[in-house]
Amino acid sequence: MTSYIIKRLVLLIPLLLGITLVSFVLLKSLPGDIALSLVGERASQETIDSIRKEIGADKDALHQYAGYLKMLARGDLGRSYYTGRDVLSDIARKFPNTMKLAFAAMAISVPLGIMAGFAAAYRKGGPVGKMIDALSLAGLSVPVFWSAIMIMVVFSLRLKMFPPSGTGNIRFLVLPACALSIPAAATLVRVTRTVVAEVLAMPFIRTATAKGLPPARIKMQHVLRNAIIPIITIIGLDFGSYLNGAVVTETIFGWDGIGRFTMEGIMKRDYPVIMGCIIAGTVVFVMVNLLVDVLYHYLDPRIRLHANDK
Amino acid sequence: MTPKKSPSQEISRLALWFVLFSIITFLSGCTSSNRISGFFYYRLNSTPSTVDPALIADVSGASVAAKLFNGLVRLDDNLSVAPDIAERWKISGDGLRYVFFLRRDVQFSNGRGVRARDFKASFERVLNSGTRSPNVWVFDKVEGAQAYREGRAGDVAGFRVIDDYTFEIKLKRPFSPFLSMLTTTPAYVVAVDGSLCLGTGPFNLASWMPGRELVLERKDHYFDGRAKVRGIVYRIIPEDLTAITEFEVGNLDVISLPATAYSRFRNDKKWSSLIISMRGLNTYYLGMNTSKPPFDDPQIRKAVASAVDTKKILRTFYENRGRPAAGPVPDLLRSWKLDNVRDNGGYDPQKAREIIKNSGVSGMRVHLYITADQDVVDLAEIIQSYLSDAGIEVVLRQLEWSAFKEAVNRGEPELFWLSWWADYPDPENFLFPLFHSSNSGPAGNRTRYCNKTVDALIEQGQFSINKNDRKTFYKQAEELIIKDAPAVFFWHRTDFMVKQPWVKGYKVFPIYTMDKGMEIEGRDSL
Repeated sequence: MTSYIIKRLVLLIPLLLGITLVSFVLLKSLPGDIALSLVGERASQETIDSIRKEIGADKDALHQYAGYLKMLARGDLGRSYYTGRDVLSDIARKFPNTMKLAFAAMAISVPLGIMAGFAAAYRKGGPVGKMIDALSLAGLSVPVFWSAIMIMVVFSLRLKMFPPSGTGNIRFLVLPACALSIPAAATLVRVTRTVVAEVLAMPFIRTATAKGLPPARIKMQHVLRNAIIPIITIIGLDFGSYLNGAVVTETIFGWDGIGRFTMEGIMKRDYPVIMGCIIAGTVVFVMVNLLVDVLYHYLDPRIRLHANDK
Repeated sequence: MTPKKSPSQEISRLALWFVLFSIITFLSGCTSSNRISGFFYYRLNSTPSTVDPALIADVSGASVAAKLFNGLVRLDDNLSVAPDIAERWKISGDGLRYVFFLRRDVQFSNGRGVRARDFKASFERVLNSGTRSPNVWVFDKVEGAQAYREGRAGDVAGFRVIDDYTFEIKLKRPFSPFLSMLTTTPAYVVAVDGSLCLGTGPFNLASWMPGRELVLERKDHYFDGRAKVRGIVYRIIPEDLTAITEFEVGNLDVISLPATAYSRFRNDKKWSSLIISMRGLNTYYLGMNTSKPPFDDPQIRKAVASAVDTKKILRTFYENRGRPAAGPVPDLLRSWKLDNVRDNGGYDPQKAREIIKNSGVSGMRVHLYITADQDVVDLAEIIQSYLSDAGIEVVLRQLEWSAFKEAVNRGEPELFWLSWWADYPDPENFLFPLFHSSNSGPAGNRTRYCNKTVDALIEQGQFSINKNDRKTFYKQAEELIIKDAPAVFFWHRTDFMVKQPWVKGYKVFPIYTMDKGMEIEGRDSL
């Protein structure tokens, strides 16, 4: 297991190199001159040139990329073109907010999704099952920006229960977490329903029922245990993507996390910020996936992790 | 008989009730309000890059800086130059020397008194090439500025400290809008303390959380009185819809109404009486590249000016959120009446079609470059349709802002949509950068318009000390520009703000530097 984890971590290096290269090439191939956006309307050519030199835009793309990698090797993600602030420390400051939001969204979507998925599987074909199916389909189809706006209008503007935007205590967290949890819960419902329905049709469930085991024990010990792997996979993927910053949700609710930071960077073409967020996102995503793989092993000992696993 | 519940089921039931009770208690204590008492709440749509006057290049930074700093002079409500730290000034007969007499009761936020040498240091800081200021243009007419920038002089000869409270600026040659230029952000006095810039304004910067908010706190000892609010919070909210919701729940005191929300607020009885309009000092125009066919021919340019019904577009598409533009100079700055501009002043599609047909460019394909904003795209399609009726085929090319600016600066497009906003309230600010041939290209004259008579008239206006003479020169220059039609002048945009019913003393200013935040009163102002 340890060698497996070490191998996965070592593989992160070529992955990061590849991702920085692709992102760098894409960003640099965009038209336009960032120095012009930085200095406003009336700057002299001399000032523009000096700023271009300062941000390294006067060199060719290869030199710029080499310079960036060198900086990266020192553990430095550079400074924002606009604010001059250190990108790594900004990411470190915003990451806990993103993590709070991700955990809050998972705290809503995981129990809700799994419970509703179970209910849909047990009540398959009945009115409850059909209703859960319809709601989960709606949750999957409605875009987050729309549900986020609706949640804000209802709970902030009409009911005046929560602040519409901002970053702070739990009052600020409720609405973005709800908005973010909708698609995740809907996906979980559908996956759980399918897997649980499959498990329910298996002979060992019939045996357990025939043996007179209480239904709660059958659900927890036999059904859930056997259905858990696909559910954990979906939770892991969602969690990984939330930790990368929920761009739309964070922007609409003014939540000061990685998603909003990335969005601001993109809007202003603040390359060090965009690159920094991509790199941090890659690391987080790989880590979460690794964690999920390790979890598989604990939840189902039949799954074994080897360093030579593909 | 109901089956008896096991103890574990009882515990689960109790736990569920407890959770439900906690949620209800939590929700009942929740409110959407989120304010510090006595503070005034504004919205900024992006984080300012800096509030250092030497480096500011964006409006959001400049509007915050106006409350933290002061200059020698400022603008009063009539857009005239009024005393700020300089209580009076003298201009020599030849228009070269400006002597400012400073107030003795002005202090930086660290308590140190402001002296004339602070102005010299602050202005030289802007000119110092190490500062990389984008605002060098404010002082480049001062004697010795160039030599200082090039490292040939240790200081700027034109900034002279006569005594602690007397400061003199000497120009290379007379430049009549100079006093007006001293009201701009880069001309604020600062005391540099490490990485901090200390100011003399009515507020101190208390905290700054990038991406979230900036908090200013009132100074108790400001030379011009004490602000009525305890402080100002600038909340950074990029999304218009979020900002509107924050305003409607009362978390913001004033917002600028986005175009998409304008009609709704206008027709809502609750808000319609609380909308304030602000006539901006700006000009929106369709630029024509005069160095490239077909718009190197003034006749074709005039045809384009006649082909587009700008007034109708303003009335319908733009919902009258602006005033029709007769020429490049905004109506608020034009103290003269335009004559002899009738021949290409109005919408005349018949005439436009004839000119285009007779000049043989009918069916010619030109490119209109625009930025990616949706309202600009909609407008460009309207222009495209008008020009197609007149016989010119327009291809729209939408670009990201810096790519757009680069292409227009290079002279790539035949047509482009742009606006120009005043840095200081003087007609010269709309004539010299936009139409003087020395500014052709990136410096502002993106139509690449070149008319030696217009150049001479603008220069005469700049050098002339007599107010009436300047007016005559500017009027003549503007009339010639309208006649040559290097651009179709659409409108001068009016912005709309909406305030909360409890807000008192709120005024809107055509230039952001005018708002010092002294008179505003929000909820529970002290």
